[in-house]
Order: sequence, then C-alpha cells, then structure tokens
Amino acid sequence: MTKHWKENRSLLLFAAPALILYTVFKLYPAIVGLYYSMTDWNGLNKEYSFIGVGNFVQIIGDENYWKSILFTCKYVAVMLLAANLTALTLAVVIEGRRRGKGFFRTLFYMPNMISMIIGGFMWNFIFTKVLYALADNYGMKFFDRSWVGDPQNAFAAIILVSVWGITGYLMIIYMAGLQGIPVHLKESAALDGANAWQNFTRITLPLIRPSLTICVFWTLNAAFQVFDVIFSLTGGGPGRQTQSVAMNIYEEAFTGNIRYGYATAKSTILFLIVFLLTLIQLRVMKKKEEEM
Amino acid sequence: MKKKWMALLVAACLVFSLTACGSGNDTTAGNTGKNASQATGNNDNKANDSGSNDSTAGESEATAAPREAELNIMMSFPQYMDQWETYCKQFEDKMLAEENIKVKVNLEMPSSDQYDSVLQARLTGDDAPDLYTIHSNNLETYYNAGYIKDLSSEVLAGKIYDDVKKTVTVDGKLMAVPIESQAWGVLYNKDIFTECGLTVPDTISDLEAICTALKDKGYTPFLLAYQEQWVPQLMTALTIGGKVSGDVPDWLDRMYKDEGSYTEISDIFDVIDVIMQNGTDRAMEEGSEAGSADFANGKAAMYVQGTWASNTIMTTNPDMNLGVFALPVNENVDCTKINLSTSTTVVVYPESENMDLALAFANYILDDKDSSALFQSCSFNPIANVHTYDTSSWVKEAYEYVAEGRSYLDLVIPSSVTDEQGKLLQEYYTGSVTRDDIIATLDAKFKEANELNK
Repeated sequence: MTKHWKENRSLLLFAAPALILYTVFKLYPAIVGLYYSMTDWNGLNKEYSFIGVGNFVQIIGDENYWKSILFTCKYVAVMLLAANLTALTLAVVIEGRRRGKGFFRTLFYMPNMISMIIGGFMWNFIFTKVLYALADNYGMKFFDRSWVGDPQNAFAAIILVSVWGITGYLMIIYMAGLQGIPVHLKESAALDGANAWQNFTRITLPLIRPSLTICVFWTLNAAFQVFDVIFSLTGGGPGRQTQSVAMNIYEEAFTGNIRYGYATAKSTILFLIVFLLTLIQLRVMKKKEEEM
Repeated sequence: MKKKWMALLVAACLVFSLTACGSGNDTTAGNTGKNASQATGNNDNKANDSGSNDSTAGESEATAAPREAELNIMMSFPQYMDQWETYCKQFEDKMLAEENIKVKVNLEMPSSDQYDSVLQARLTGDDAPDLYTIHSNNLETYYNAGYIKDLSSEVLAGKIYDDVKKTVTVDGKLMAVPIESQAWGVLYNKDIFTECGLTVPDTISDLEAICTALKDKGYTPFLLAYQEQWVPQLMTALTIGGKVSGDVPDWLDRMYKDEGSYTEISDIFDVIDVIMQNGTDRAMEEGSEAGSADFANGKAAMYVQGTWASNTIMTTNPDMNLGVFALPVNENVDCTKINLSTSTTVVVYPESENMDLALAFANYILDDKDSSALFQSCSFNPIANVHTYDTSSWVKEAYEYVAEGRSYLDLVIPSSVTDEQGKLLQEYYTGSVTRDDIIATLDAKFKEANELNK
C-alpha cells in the first residue's frame, strides 16, 4: 500500500506542472462556465442574475442552433470517412514504397503545420480567384461555379480543405501503427498465397486497430468543434447555411446581442453531445480491440 | 480492464479540454487581463501620489519635478497606427512642456475583428484602458453598463459640428469624441457616367434608366461584393434610412416599442432587386477589398460602398474620377438621401486613474493647432470647427447633399438585427430566402433584441 502510494506520488509530481496548468486554464474555466450558462450575463455588465435553466429552455426553440448542429453532424460524418480513408490510404501507399518515404511523409504532413485559419484563407483565394482564372483563361469550365456562394459546393470545399489540413496528422499515427506490424506475419501470409487485399484486410487492418481508435476519436472530437476552416472559407455563409455549432456559439457570444450566458449554455450542450458520442465510440472500438 | 478505464478517463479529459475552449473564453481572458494590470499598477500609484485628479491639476506644480504618469489607450484601427503614435508623442511633449507632467502613453491597437472581444475582456477584467474607441452605435449600451464618462462639460464639446454631435449624443449627454464620421451613399465612376451622358438618379425609375443606358453601352451597372456580410448590409442601411426619413419617420421608434414591422418599408427590396439584377457575377466570391479594386479598374459603374473604401480605390487607380450619390428607394425624392453616420469614436473610462490626463487627451484630439494635421493624414472627414483642411472631391460631393438638407442620421438598429440583415441579403442573393422570409425573420430578431435589452 505505502509502496504504491510512493510510486503514485512521484508520478503525480512529474505530472504536476501540466496538471496545474490544465486545471487552471481548462478545468476551472469549464466548471465556472457551467455556472455562467445559468446566468443572463452579457459579457459586459457588472451585474447579472442567476436564471437557472432558462437558457437551456430557450435553446430548445432556437432553430439556428439546431440547424448548425445538424450541419456539424453532417460535417462530422463525412469527415470521419473522408479524412480517415485518405490518411490510411496515404499511409499504406507511402509505407509500401522503398524510396522517398521521408519526402512524401513530409509533403503530406506539411498542411498540418500551417494554422487552419491561414490554410483557409489560402484556399479561399484559390476558390475565389485561381479557379476562376483557370475557367476563364484555360477553358476549364468545371471550375466555373460558385464555390463559396452555393451551399452544396461550399460544403464540398470545406470538406476538401479540412481533409487537406488534418490528413497529415492522422497519416503519421497510422504510419506508426503500420511500422509496428511484425514483418514475419506478412511474409508468412505471402507464402500462404495471400494477395495484397487479403494481406491488408486480414493482417494490417486488425493490427492497426489501436491507431484506428485514436484517429477516429480525434477526428470525431476535432470535427465537432470545427471553426477556423469554415470561418476563413465561407464565414458560415451564405447566410447561416454553412454555420457550424462552434460558429453559432461564437456569434452568440461576441456579436449581435452579446449573450455570454446563453452562448455558454450552448457550448455546454455541445460538450455533452461530444462527450457522449466519444464515450460510446471508445467503448465500441475498445471492445473490438479486445476481442482480437 | 484497468487500462480500459485509464483510456476512458484520458479520453474524457481530452474531450473536456477541447470543449472547455468554448465555454471558458471569458475566464481565461480575465486572467490575461489581470497580468496586464499588474504591469501598469506601479505607475498608477505614482500618479496617485502626486495628488489631485481634477483636470486643472499640474499647473500649480509647474516648478516641482515633473509628475510621472501613464495613459493607456486602446484603438481599433491598426491601419492608422503611425499617425496616432506620432500624435501621442506630440501629446507627451505638450504635457511635459505645458503641465510639467511626464506622461507615457501606451497605445494598443488590436486587429479590428478581435477588437470588441479584447475590449470586453479588459473592461470586465478590471483592466480598462483610460481611453478607448467604440462604434457610435454601442455608446448607449456601454454607457448603461457604466463604462463611459459624460464629456458634455469639456472644451471639445463646443468644437464639434452640430450634425456630427447628434450622432454621439445619448440622452442629451455628449458621450464621445467622434473620429470617423462620414456622409456616404453609392460610389460611382464619374468618367463612365459622363461618357454615357448620365446624371445622378433621384428616383428608382431614374436608377433603372441609368442601368439600361449603361448596359446598352456595354458597362455593368453595379459591382457586387457579398462575400463579407457587412457589405450587402450596406444596402439595407441606405434604403431603410432613406425610406424611413422620407416616408415613415416614426418607424424606428415604433420598432423599439414592438409596434412596427418591416412590411411597412418592404419597398426597399425593389431597389435591392434592381441592384442585384444589374450587378457583376460571382458576388459571393468577391470580398470588399477586391470589390473596391475591381470598381477602381472600371469593372462596373456603381458600387454600394461607403467613402471609407476610397483609400483602396485611389491606391488601385489614382486617376479614378470618384463620385457619390444618394441611393433612391422609390419614386419619392424625399427618400433619396445621404447617410450621415459616425462609426469610430473615442470615449473616456469613468474610473480612470489619471482622469485629468485622459480628459486632456480627449480634448487634445480636437486641438486647435494639431488636430487638422492628424485628421488629414488619416483622411478622416472634418468633424469640428478646428478642422480647416481641404477634403477630397467625392467627400465634398456627399456633403453637398448634407448642405441641401438631403441627409439623415444613420439609424441605430440593434446590432443583432444589422448582422441578420447582412446574412439574409446573402441568402436573398443566392435565392434561398424570399422577401417575406426576410421580413418575418427581421421582425422576430428585432423583438428578440428588444426583449433582451429591457
């Protein structure tokens, strides 16, 4: 018992700097935020009152909020598939190469090193200027459409840029998983006459399951809070048609009626949704991992 | 099993940390504010040591060693950083020479899209700057929250032009020193107008005739740049203002009492339709700056944009012959008026530690000797009788309307409604909402804002 405690204590001490920072700047604000979500504070007045669940009741009838949740869910679903498939494909293809591994790894990881707000503005320029220049000067008529003005195209554009930005990161995780697969397993499978596809589905995929869990978890989490890409690409427009939940919350807190309390209530709900979903996802995927 | 629980716990922590960003903004901002206040705390004490806080302090101490003090100023226009830094230096010299006070002015200019949130965090985090800029539409809110000092009794009050003064007065009290004040309407390319033999429109049918004439000559009438929501919003600003001042003067008052509706002014959409149908393509892909540049290069003959865009336009094409006309709303000429508005203003924080210096600076902004040079170098419009410089031709053209009495004071509409107008006009352009949808939504938004501001 005492020995255990000693071990834990030194572990805690090592973790203390990070833990303290985390508590002060993340945990404490989050808990205080819970209190603010039950007030009518406007972020400005010195006085505000406690209104209980009033904000939450009002959210039920807030059409724009639920629309933005729906949009975000759509975004999350597409991102989960698109980002992970791209990352996994890239990882497998690059790992399978004999030469130039480092080069391609760096190349695809690069977008991840750029802040997505800057990436978004770069792509905004491509969508609003470069593509039209191609369409007008080189006859590439496919590009001649409203890329950020039409909700459908705008969604495609947002997905494209998000995948571009996030893939590198996921790819690295998958690569680490791939490198951990013992070579002899693949060799013996090849001797047994397994083709490349069988090799992938029967050996590679099961063995990189932990990476898959992490990547899906991470995408799910990040995608639910998407803000920067959309903010710099479409600004949520036209109107609110590409507005994510995070943007809806930002709009409520910092523009218009400046309702901090109400916005905090909205983000509390977002937190609960993300928390529940990731919990379920982790349970399901962990179970599968253990089955093997 | 243990591993599994650890993993779950870590996962929970991660989720928590990520969402915490959303809900925790206010508190973290407060923390940074406190750090900053520690830095300036020392000097505040010094200022208190040297005594009184009234505006005449200093003169009696002229022979003593200079009093030291700091003045914190926060402004929202980084594009004029150089001009204002110079001006602050001049203020420091003036104070040392005339009042024997060694002032150190700390001038901060956060980027304009973050300005409001930074300001709010500073104000609520007990780290308010002594002077700061806000939009004139927010004066009342900030005054009610106790963040603005009444300037009615200051020297500067007598210098501001009456028209402009009205835009920064709340309940008969002068709230702020106006900085950017403009008379604005629709920008047009005078060369194209002359070439086609056109004159500025007075009614909507004039405007339609102009559009037809321009198209016959192969010109696109209007430049549309709707990527940023505030740009389409300018159309409602102009049309509602004109319509209300000419036809339904009590509309806004009734709106604030929940007794009005946008249906009363629904003919504003007629002219908005004219603009949208006679505009350039790819409006949603065009930002405001790109729009100004394209307009300067003659891509279209008219542009619904304020005179504040003249800087970009004249840089892109120095030979541009720029003009301003009032946007007609319907057949009533009384509705065709220029918008007179004040955007940026400087206010004084009422609990400033160095109130005498804060007020001295506020007065110095409209200094008899130095103010003209500052306003001219930033190409601001003259707002007080101390401004004697010559303005550009398009500004003069706009003020001719004002001189003829064909102007109205910018309507103060709740900012949530203004934002909504921009969003809805984007959707109106892409075709996902109709006039009736817009009217219903705006009415609801206005009621909601009334409810919240009770």
